[in-house]
Order: sequence, then C-alpha cells, then structure tokens
Amino acid sequence: MLVQLKVNGELRSADVPAETTLLKLLREHLGLTGAKLGCDVGDCGTCTVIVDGESVNSCLMLAARAAGHDITTIEGLANANQLHPIQHAFEELGALQCGFCGPGMIMSAKHLLDKNTEPTVAEIRDALAGNLCRCTGYTKIIEAVVVAGRAMSSTDARP
Amino acid sequence: MATRTKDVQTDTEELVTATESRAPAKQPLIVPADQPVAFPLQLPEFSARLKTPAVGQRATRPDGRLHGLGQTQYIDDITFPHLIHAKVLRSAHPHARIISIDMSAAEALPGVLATLTGKEIPVNSFGPTLQDQPVLAAEVVRHRGDGVAAVAALTEQIATDALELIKVEYEPLQPVFDPLEALEDDSPKIHGGDTNVYTSKVIKKGDVEKALAEADHVFHRQFQTQAVEHVPIEPHASIASWDANGRVSVWSSLGRITLGREDLARTLDLPQSKIRLIGTIVGGNFGGKNEITNEPILAMLSRKTGRPVKSVFTRGDEFISSTIRHPFTMDYTTGVMNDGLIIARKIRLVLDGGAYCSWTATTIGKGSILAAGPYNIENLLVEAYAVYTNKTTTGAMRGFGAPQVCFAYESQMDDIAHKLGMDPLEIRLKNAFTEGSASPTSQTLQSVAVKESLVQASERFGWKEWQR
Amino acid sequence: MHPFEYIVPSSAPEAVALLAEHGESACPLAGGTDLIVDLKHGPGNINLLVDVSALPEFRGIDETPDGLRIGSMVTFGEIMASPVCRKMTPEIVAAAHTVGAVQTRNLGTVGGNLVTCVPSADIAPSLMVLDARVTVIGSDGSREMPIEEFFVAPRKTSLQPHELLESILIPKNALGKPSKFLKFGLRNGQALALVNAAGSLWLDKDGKTLVEPRLALGAVAPTPLRATKTEAFLTGKPATDKVLAEAAEIAVSEAKPIDDFRASANYRRQIIRTFTLRVLKRSIEIAREV
Repeated sequence: MLVQLKVNGELRSADVPAETTLLKLLREHLGLTGAKLGCDVGDCGTCTVIVDGESVNSCLMLAARAAGHDITTIEGLANANQLHPIQHAFEELGALQCGFCGPGMIMSAKHLLDKNTEPTVAEIRDALAGNLCRCTGYTKIIEAVVVAGRAMSSTDARP
Repeated sequence: MATRTKDVQTDTEELVTATESRAPAKQPLIVPADQPVAFPLQLPEFSARLKTPAVGQRATRPDGRLHGLGQTQYIDDITFPHLIHAKVLRSAHPHARIISIDMSAAEALPGVLATLTGKEIPVNSFGPTLQDQPVLAAEVVRHRGDGVAAVAALTEQIATDALELIKVEYEPLQPVFDPLEALEDDSPKIHGGDTNVYTSKVIKKGDVEKALAEADHVFHRQFQTQAVEHVPIEPHASIASWDANGRVSVWSSLGRITLGREDLARTLDLPQSKIRLIGTIVGGNFGGKNEITNEPILAMLSRKTGRPVKSVFTRGDEFISSTIRHPFTMDYTTGVMNDGLIIARKIRLVLDGGAYCSWTATTIGKGSILAAGPYNIENLLVEAYAVYTNKTTTGAMRGFGAPQVCFAYESQMDDIAHKLGMDPLEIRLKNAFTEGSASPTSQTLQSVAVKESLVQASERFGWKEWQR
Repeated sequence: MHPFEYIVPSSAPEAVALLAEHGESACPLAGGTDLIVDLKHGPGNINLLVDVSALPEFRGIDETPDGLRIGSMVTFGEIMASPVCRKMTPEIVAAAHTVGAVQTRNLGTVGGNLVTCVPSADIAPSLMVLDARVTVIGSDGSREMPIEEFFVAPRKTSLQPHELLESILIPKNALGKPSKFLKFGLRNGQALALVNAAGSLWLDKDGKTLVEPRLALGAVAPTPLRATKTEAFLTGKPATDKVLAEAAEIAVSEAKPIDDFRASANYRRQIIRTFTLRVLKRSIEIAREV
C-alpha cells in the first residue's frame, strides 16, 4: 500500500506491504538509518522517533498507521550549519560511546526538552526509561540532557 | 520551526560565546533554520583537539559527532543492490546427534535462493585456541544455540518461514548442564574422549598444606557466579559478498577482524589474500564480538547465489547463540593468623565452559593468576578446570575471569574480618600488594598503589563514619 | 511479520462489521504495543488488522452526568496529561505512569491494556477500586458491565466475538474518592508487576469508620482481583492499625500468587501484605486531609 507521510518536514512516500513497521519504512525505504533495530519488541528504545510531537517505538508502529502524520527522526535535528543543542551537548559531554543507543536517546531527550527545558534528574530518568544504553552507565547522558536543556531555554527556540 | 528576532539572536550569541570561552573559534550555537540537513556537515573542531600537548586536555570522542547526527554506519545500516537475507536454524536440543537434515521443502519455498548445511563447509571448525566449534553443526549439536542449517532468501520473513520447513532428525543424547556434574566420571562426554575438562591451569607457590596446618584459622567457602550476556545494543550483524574474481568481502560487527580473517580463511579454505574483512564502528562489544559467528555461512551463501547476503542476530539469538560470561564455581580455603595475616590460600576454580572452547583458555589463565587477589600470600595453590556443558558457549566478557574471582576473594576477606573482629579495611591493608610484591606467578609488580588507593577512597567516601 | 492487510474503519459499527465478516483471521489494532510484538512472533494466521485506535467513539476523556468517561483508545500518555484525570482520578494517572516507558505510553491504550487481560494489567486495579464500568459494542448493540466482569481468565475477557471495548466510566460518586495505587516491579521502569495493588475508601463523618472500602490486587490471581473478603471485613470497621493489619492477612489469603522466574509466591505474599497496608493507610490519610 502507498504510505505518504511527512518526515523531517519533507513529504515522503513509499509503496510498502501493510505489515511494514515505521522503523522498516524509515530504514529500508526512505534511507533514514538513524533509527535502529535493537530488539524489535519496543524494549530498548533504539527505534525511537517522534510522531506528531510524541515519542514512540517505531518498531511497534505500522507505517500505514503513521501515514498522514508528522515524523521527526534524528536526521531532522541538525541543519546544514548547526548541531541541535542536544547533539552538541551529547558530543561535548561524552554521552555517546558506541553510539548505537544515541539516535533513540536523543529523540527521547528532545521529546522531554521540547516540553520542559529544566527537568530534574528524576524527570530525566523517567523520560529516558525507555532507552537502554550498555556503554555509558547513563550518568553522562543525564548531564548532557541538563546542559542541552539550558542551551535550549536560553535560545528559547524550538526547531 | 521558529524564526527569531535579531535582538534575541544577539543575546544568545553573547551568552553562548561567554560559556564557550574554551573554544573561541567555534561558531555560536543557533538552533533554527529552515534548511533541510545537507550532508556532510562541516562543523568546527572542538578546540581541545587542536591543542598540543594534548595530554591533560579535555578531549571529545571523534565519533561522538557522527553518532549524534545518526550518521554512523553500523553493519545493518549498510545495504547493497540485490542484497538478500540469511537466517540460521538453531538446534532443537541441547545435546543430540544429527541423523538427517532435509532441506527440500525449504529450498522449494518461493523466494529462497540458497541453503547451506555444515557438511558443505570446507573446514567446519574454528576457535581461537581449540578449533572445536563448527560453523554449522553437522554431526552433533551441543547446545540450543548451535546452528544446524541456513537459508538465504529475498526477504527476512521468507528466510524465517523457510527455517520452519527444514526437517532435522535428531537422536537426543543425554545432556549435562551442571559443570560439577560434568566433572564426574559417568557424565556424558560432550566432545568425546574420557573427560569434559578441556583446559586447566595450576599455580603453585610455597607449601599450602603445611601452611594451612600452621594457620590459626582456616576459612572455607564455595562461591558461585552466574552467566551474563553482554546485550550489546547492536546485535551481531554481517554481510558477505562473493565477487566474480573468487574473492569475498565481508562487513561485520566483529571486533577482532584480523583473527576473523584467519578464521574465514580456515573455514572457507581460502588464502587470506582472497578475503577482505571490513569492520566498522561496533555498537557495543564487551568481548562478545571477538570471534566469527555467521560470517563463513554468509560467504558460502553469497558464493551460491552471486548476491550480497546479510544476516542480523535477533535479540533471542543474542541470548542463546552468542557467547556469554563463564559462570565460576570457586572453592576458597584460606589460612589466616590471629593478627589477620593470610599465610595460605587453596583455590579450586571450575569454569562452566559451555559447549565450545571460544576464549576459555584466556579466561582460565587470567582467572587463575588473579584468583588469590591483590594480596601477598606465600603459600598458594590454584587449580582451575574448564568443563564442557551443553549450554551457550562461554567466551570473552570484560574481565575475562577477573570479576568472578574478585567476588570470591573479596567476599572471603569480609568473612575473615568479621570472624576475627577486624576492620575489613585494615585486614586488606595488612595483606595488600606493595611496590615490588610478587604476583602468584612470581612477576615483580611495579607502580603498585593498592594501599594508597584503598586509604584515599575510604577517606573520601566516609568509611569510618559508616562503620557501625 | 507475516503479511496482512490493514484497514482504518471510519466508525465503530463499521469496525464491528469488518471483524464479524472476517472472523478469526481479523484482529482489532489499538496501540499495538502488545499485538505487534505477538504478530512478529506468531504463526501468521491474522490476515487483516482493523485499526480502531482513532475511532471517534473510542476517544476522549469527558465529564458526563454519569461520571468520567474515558474512551478505550485513550493512551496512557493522554491520561497522564489530562487535567481532568489528574484532578479527579489521580491514582489512575499514577497507574498509567507505571506502564512501560514514555514511548510505550504514547502508543499504548487503556482499552488495549484491559483487553489484553493479563493478570498484571497495570490500569486494572485503580479502575476497579473506583467501581469502574465498561461499555462494549458489538453487532447486537452495546452493553455495559462492572469492570470485574470484564476479566474472565488470563488473556480472556468477556468480549464476545467481534465485540470491541468502547469506553470506561468512573461513576460520579467515585470521583475524588481517596485512593492509592502501588506497583512492584523488578525495575522502576519497563517492568512487569510482580504485584500491583489499589485501594480506596471513604471515612464517615467522625473520620474514624471505614465506608465502602475497596481493594484490588493484580498479578496474584488469574485475573486482576477484587479482594471482596477483605472489603467485607473492613466495611464499617474503625480505621486502626490493628484492623488494617488483619485486613492485610485476609488479602494475602484471598490472593493466589504463583512461583515463577521473577519471584516466589511467598515473596509475592509479603508484597501483598505490605501493599495492602500502604494503599489503605494512604487512602485514610487522604480522606483525613479533606
């Protein structure tokens, strides 16, 4: 079936079997391999993308269901000149080691910070509970989210 | 996306420049713009990376930038024209003889392009120390994660469906799961012969029996650690592409690609010059991606089909088929004097060696040498055995034997301190290595800071205050 | 996943008709957080998914003369964000917060959780102690029942073939009732409940006697369980530690926890005891604050 949706501000479409997940659509049909397949059952969060402003596990969402909606992936954060503050903070604070959890983690952080640029550590932990990381031990990730939040509230702009 | 007034923009730039004073060359950080991402982005380097000397500077990881952008290419992100997908059928039994494998129904499934069984592999054995592991089991399966047959198909779903059509006839054999049981004479011998012990180590120093007899106290306890799976967030993944010149290119999440190429050369019976093995950023290794898994299978399937073949472990495969950390069963007998001085330690380590050797030889070596702990012990006997069991192959995982024995000797130090009424910190300081101490294998140790570290740490986290 | 077709009906009657037409080979799709996982590992006997997640009849959180109506396709995230729920049914919000993680809560629905009907269904106990009623719609029209009657056995509800859960109603006189929900999992997030529990009660005018006490326990019986013996014991009794302690023992005896790889039955019994005390005590505190 033909699935048309907005991805990172661009209208995209693909003809895919109905059982195609949003994750597979992004990775295999739209060339957006930032979202990852880590478990395929919605536990690890590496597939996290934002649909209509809400973070979801794209491995659990059918592409057909996402049709007509607004998807933001990791590829939509930076622009030609700048990193998104979250990407900047993650890089600077060493919150990315192997990097595989990175895109999902950053999208979950974006979901949080878009609603609240001054989260407490407890709120950050709650917001990132659906994203697993095996490398960093999470401490630097939490610090990076705090720093990113400060940068975002000082610029007061939401991409 | 929001657009901004000029004033707010200026304020932001000033604010950001002030906080970014370590990197004056950097562009100010501005979020909005309506341009879609243009690859590649040219962003300034962090100033710390531009300084010399670099030692003492705060550096950022060069790959952090690409990770944050989602641009890092892991194996599963790579695709080629005409790529097809492979899946491996895993054993239905923990221990069984394979009587027959009937691939005909799987081969007939529309969309299946090739199949593979173990007997088609030119040299069906590999391993870093003992080459006891088959690429695909041909005669005997030794654990539930053992691969038995593989298919390559146009889609992953067809490949998965094809696995269900493979008919394997097994003759179940008696399995053994407990390593202590596997030591017994009447246990099933998983790799034949008259013992399941496949590697062992002995370290002897002084006269442990004499010293134990002279000790004021003798402590004995058995400690056990459990199996641990690495759970790298990136599952094992590889792609193989055989070309018309008879050379194979393999992209793999493998961490040790030189060894991997040796294993490919061996199993495919190909000169190394015909093998190109490309590693990339690995999404988490921790020891579990140190040896080949499906790579020879994919190479053979690619040769049969003339197409690039990819396979990615499912999370389930990761748990049953990729290697795990060795469970240790550790018997510690320690002779101690009244003042807390340890004069003798006798240790028996039994490693649950899983179905195949993998990195056990390294693990048993490290585990044995470190088994006594960072303590001066004049009289020492360590006997370590690795035993086959019909469970997931135990291999390398961060520490390689060190974490297991550490749990044992440190737990016992606390037992000893408690019994003697001594401060657990004091008893460690009394016995710890110092500069010039000899390791259990008589290496003279240098740059030894055990005592200083313990003292500083205990002061910092308030050991005395915490003591009841 | 095995191939299937996907269709978005525009109304609940159309959804019901599609399910009736296709029988066993069709399945309704809510948030998908359980169903899609099952389809990925299942035998492939489902040919049609009927997406009911956006049906207008199944959406919305509305104050009605009868009480608070929560559409079955309201997500846990929407429950948590709803000012009306936060004010009137804070423990349902608390329960929603314990489900999975942010991503699953943005997809997962209240109705989906109830229809999947596992013993540990996180949203069930807090609804049960507020005397929730559910409305079900099918080819024969709609029917209504107390939520306890909805759960029949593990993964089996009282839905007849081709019936869909339409909405949940918290009756007017239960809104604002002092209540507490607790969940015990092996982790703080993304965890199945070893035990979950909810309690609610009123105190009479003297602030001493228990009125309409309710206790619901999850993950310790084939379905979420109303501890009716415990409730009967508590009714009309003074709100004292001694009474609560005795109630906790009755609750332990009413439950049927099992040994599994997560915990032993005995460990679960200890949690039941502690949770019963805590949810009742906290409800009493809330009642006295008012």
